[in-house]
Amino acid sequence: MKGNAYTLIYALLLGTACALLLTAASEFTKPYRVANAEAEETFNILKVLGIPFEEGTDAAGLLAISKENVKEKKSGDVTLYEYALAGGKVIAVALPFEGQGLWGPIKGFLALEPDMRTIKGVTFYQQEETPGLGGEISTESFTTLFSGKSIINELGQPGISIKAGAGNDVNGVDVISGATMTCDKVQEMINEAVVKIVDTE
Amino acid sequence: MADGCNSCKGLCGGKGLTTMKEGAWTNNPLAIQVLGICSALAVTNKLMNSLVMGVALIFVCVGSNLLVSLLRKHTPHRIRMIAEVAIIATFVILFDQFLRAFYWDMSKQLGPYVGLIITNCIVMGRAEAFALQNPPILSILDGIANGVGYAVILAIIGFFRELLGTGQIMGYEVLSSSWYTPNQLMVLAPGAFIALGFVIAVFNVLKGPDPEENK
Repeated sequence: MKGNAYTLIYALLLGTACALLLTAASEFTKPYRVANAEAEETFNILKVLGIPFEEGTDAAGLLAISKENVKEKKSGDVTLYEYALAGGKVIAVALPFEGQGLWGPIKGFLALEPDMRTIKGVTFYQQEETPGLGGEISTESFTTLFSGKSIINELGQPGISIKAGAGNDVNGVDVISGATMTCDKVQEMINEAVVKIVDTE
Repeated sequence: MADGCNSCKGLCGGKGLTTMKEGAWTNNPLAIQVLGICSALAVTNKLMNSLVMGVALIFVCVGSNLLVSLLRKHTPHRIRMIAEVAIIATFVILFDQFLRAFYWDMSKQLGPYVGLIITNCIVMGRAEAFALQNPPILSILDGIANGVGYAVILAIIGFFRELLGTGQIMGYEVLSSSWYTPNQLMVLAPGAFIALGFVIAVFNVLKGPDPEENK
């Protein structure tokens, strides 16, 4: 009959075999996955900065457009992405933000006008929020609410607010009904990023 | 050796056919056993998503059935379920990695549901109920049959939900927006329940009553 030692060895061997197989697969697909993630990020930087590109452009094409138009700029420990015309005129600056959402990590970019005060747009490119509720943050009907808002409130303090009825404030965006937790966390992570750049100026 | 003989005899004796028929039709995992409902409801808002999910389940079901069957005489009874889950998880993660590397957009749309195949009762059920007692070739057939049984139902639900919910099929407009107002309900979760209910009802009418139940 099969004893304890046999069971242990069997479990050990099976576990090792599965782990080896998965490690190999993960190593093999890693360059592709990294490239996909990079392309996704580039796509979102271009989109949020309002840089025109044809729909369906492949990863290499996106990178080329980004190289031509977008300059990475360090500001403290924050990397800013600056969209400037050939003459040096700055059109917009994108600020990355990330943090923990309700269910998983959220990542996105906040694009600012050259005055570094007014929001040009916002995009969320990674989120696992509740579909239909928190998941609505990546829909256009929510992201367009940010355009034209200020990242400084009436009292001159940095930060935006995502609250019920805040839609008329200079720095306010109306909350998504049923997604208060997600909105609170999004507000927190955007403000964390905003504070950093306002401080460094 | 014994495996080879048994499976050959089994196949010639029509056991293979019976297995296939049972998995895909008379004992369809979705429409009769009503297993794996979570994913069937979650990813069927588009036909393409349903198809990819179906392929994923066929791959996992065949792979795990084969391995569980090959190892069935060596697996200690006490830890067989843990072993099954380890094998299933390996195949699921392999498929997930493949999607992430080569079909990024699809991977994003399916989100966590590919990974959740690990907990799909169909896969575990077939490993436990079939592969553990049957030779490898029969087990592969059983995996294919059940995977296809699941995939076809998923495709049917996906077809109707995308058609009625967006007026499109695979992204191409079928019902012109000039006269058809897309029914958003079909894209959302309630639409999935309604569609699945109809599919199960129609399936059971077509299949006819279960002779054993009437005894």
